[in-house]
Amino acid sequence: MAEEFNTEGMLDMYLFENTQLLEQLQEIVLDQRDADCFDDDSINEIFRTMHTIKGSSGIMMFDEITEVSHKLEDVFYYLRESKPENVPHIELVEHVLTVSDFIMGEMEKLSNGEDADGKAGHIVEELDKFLKSIKGNDKEEPVRASENAAPQQFYIAPMATSSSHFFRIYLTYAPDTVMANVHAYKVVFSLKDIAEDLLHYPEDIISDESSGDEILENGFKILLQTQATKEDLQNLIKESYELKKVEIFECTSKEFMAGFDSFGSEILIDLESSVEEIEKRAQENEKEDNVSLEDGGLFIAPDSIPEIKEKKTIAPGDFVIESKGVGKSKKLAKDKNKKIEKTSYISVDIKKMDQLMDLIGELVIAESVVLQNQDLKVPGLKLDNFNKAASQMTKIATDLQDVIMSMRMVPLTNTFQKMNRIVFDCSRKLGKDIEFEMIGDTTEVDKNIIEHISDPLMHLVRNAVDHGIETMEERAQKGKTEKGRITLSAKTESGKVWIGVQDNGAGLNREKILAKARKHELLDPTRLDSSYPDKEVFQLITLPGFSTNDKVTELSGRGVGMDVVVSNIQSVGGTLEIESTPGQGSLMLLKIPLTLAIIDGIVMQVAKTTFVIETGVVKEFINVKRESVVRKPNGEEFVMIRGEGYPMIRLSDLYHIEGGKQEISDGMIVLIEVDGKSVCVFVDYLIGKQEIVVKPIPDYIKRVQGLSGCTQMGDGSIALILDASGLIEK
Amino acid sequence: MSENEEVQKQKYVTFMSGNEYFGLKIECVNEIIVMQEITAIPETEEYIKGLINLRGKIIPVIDVRLRFKQEPFKYNDRTCIIVINVDSTTVGLIVEKIAEVVEISEDNLLPSPTLNHSDKAQQDRYVYAIGKVGNSVKLLLDPEKLLHDDMKVLEQVNAEEDEEE
Repeated sequence: MAEEFNTEGMLDMYLFENTQLLEQLQEIVLDQRDADCFDDDSINEIFRTMHTIKGSSGIMMFDEITEVSHKLEDVFYYLRESKPENVPHIELVEHVLTVSDFIMGEMEKLSNGEDADGKAGHIVEELDKFLKSIKGNDKEEPVRASENAAPQQFYIAPMATSSSHFFRIYLTYAPDTVMANVHAYKVVFSLKDIAEDLLHYPEDIISDESSGDEILENGFKILLQTQATKEDLQNLIKESYELKKVEIFECTSKEFMAGFDSFGSEILIDLESSVEEIEKRAQENEKEDNVSLEDGGLFIAPDSIPEIKEKKTIAPGDFVIESKGVGKSKKLAKDKNKKIEKTSYISVDIKKMDQLMDLIGELVIAESVVLQNQDLKVPGLKLDNFNKAASQMTKIATDLQDVIMSMRMVPLTNTFQKMNRIVFDCSRKLGKDIEFEMIGDTTEVDKNIIEHISDPLMHLVRNAVDHGIETMEERAQKGKTEKGRITLSAKTESGKVWIGVQDNGAGLNREKILAKARKHELLDPTRLDSSYPDKEVFQLITLPGFSTNDKVTELSGRGVGMDVVVSNIQSVGGTLEIESTPGQGSLMLLKIPLTLAIIDGIVMQVAKTTFVIETGVVKEFINVKRESVVRKPNGEEFVMIRGEGYPMIRLSDLYHIEGGKQEISDGMIVLIEVDGKSVCVFVDYLIGKQEIVVKPIPDYIKRVQGLSGCTQMGDGSIALILDASGLIEK
Repeated sequence: MSENEEVQKQKYVTFMSGNEYFGLKIECVNEIIVMQEITAIPETEEYIKGLINLRGKIIPVIDVRLRFKQEPFKYNDRTCIIVINVDSTTVGLIVEKIAEVVEISEDNLLPSPTLNHSDKAQQDRYVYAIGKVGNSVKLLLDPEKLLHDDMKVLEQVNAEEDEEE
């Protein structure tokens, strides 16, 4: 059976849809983990999610997943129908998370091309026990609808009927059905055994994902020639949760031959439960989301933080479930004429996006090759028309870049949700009571960057739970009344994303850090402890092998963490700042560039080497006289500009480039500023301002401080991209 | 592989560096290009000459003679860059002169003879075998070692440090 069933392409869809569902599920669960019980919406939502997963897993023949989700669905069915009281909420939360972990784990295996071979027996047992125990609390035993039973039974054609019947079958699916085409295929598959001839429309329901939408909109039509009777068919195609309406009409062979053209007239379903209502609700939800979007501004003051609403997909669960009762099942499916005007999404292979990105990068380079072509520099050319056309092209290229950039931007929501889960798990393991809060989780960041910050962020959050927040006893001793709290916040500022992990725990212990640093000989022995500013002291914990925790715990404390965090962040051009107040908690602030791919840069030349620096950090270009440069005895130089002294770096000396200009007045000073620190960079001359496509320096070459990448210039040569903060640290 | 099967033959790209001929398995050679303009990268090992732009792809190039700690040579119009690909790392090798592609059967391969002085062995580590072609011999290079050995050493050191923790 399984061999017959072509799962290619469907598996991807299955994994994609269910991963999303599970992420939403976790979000809901974690959002309400501190409540006494789930509210009705959430129960419905979880029920629906489990039901969908069960359904699609059933189709894909992943029996263990089907069983587990079925059990959990049972539990929530019971919760929904009988509304029992005294449900041990936290236990329930854990059950839901265990199930979602199990399914996630199996799906991981599937996406790696392995078999989903995990055994869910124990989880099912636990769930059974749990269900029994809550049923024990509440005597009323609801009868479970049998609509979902045995999804894999297939009908065998009876031989009794002498002549063939012809049927037209019209199926209507609930508008929120996930993967309607798969459900449709399920029906076709179940009819295969009895069918003598079968036609269906849309025709391609396996590989064409958009057919799912088509089915939702116009229904799924089948023409069937069979020995079976109408009753048989009705038994075979049962109305179910997704399948809102089954209409079977017997017809003549002539009509059958006519194909789908004769269909139209009987399409009658027109019911009052309105699309408008659904739409309206969806919009309301959106509005709420938008509100929560805007409050990304504050990092500290927790009282100014409105609760972040859980994000809902359009298709609120309640109305669907209500309409399920007998007699009401026709209340849906009016979306014939009116189209729901919602944003529609398609999922695209990230590789294709990267490819597009690369191509646009090439285009930008090609553009500068054309516009700065040597041939144009012949004197006496009339270039008016060329320049007009060129500026038009530049504009389009810039727009194109903006679009591809915005396509690559994804909200941090998912990443933050994962942190929520980590806080939940860790805090329970450690017996700490910790609230988790998210601010500005809808801030958008380049997809590539998200991949790089997920791990460091996890580390910081774990650290905060493990080391930051004190145990309950310690808090009581210190007279801290409020709960432990971890706040994850994100906002966009000056072209960077700021992500903060804040806790209200013990804060960093300055003395301990200094003592440890002395022991490891990381400090200048001639300097006094007190001469180190807090900021510098706290940065010490990011050095390799540095952990102030006295004992190594299961979660953290080996001191291999923070340096990995920092190097990960630096690899995407980010920085980590640490602030901490003893007794009141710490703030780890990540500042990460929004995007890596294309930057606006100033191009400059030192001897034969071309350098580029991000325009944003350049304060000004100055021609200074020789007298303004002062050389200290240790060889360091600084420049006096308008009465202020700035340290100066000669790129030719720094990178040992031969042939660079030595005389200050011959060259050019570029004043750059990062995080309040300024430095003058001395170069031979400036070339101009240009958009450049950042490419990484090949891994083969070890990291050079002060360089963040390279790029191809218009003439095909290679320029090195300077990393301003790296230069300043140097 | 059973013994009565025909002896395996391997094709090698050979090139000259110093006075010797070296060989690289043809599978790891992507292409051979003429000398390009090289953008130097500061603060790297001497043998890493810098980056070249290979049709929009930026790849590092290393000077094979400097890699072998031999005297540098002046680049001329016979100088070539062999672009090789090892473990998805693409690197260009600057060599004095490309010789030819030769076929060497396995029974003409000899382990590289060595006196096993530790420092000499160190120098010798890039050559995994010698191949006889007619009267001459080609030193067959292990491209992975050519590119990566110091990295491996570094990683080992790091790993040991980690274990000590």
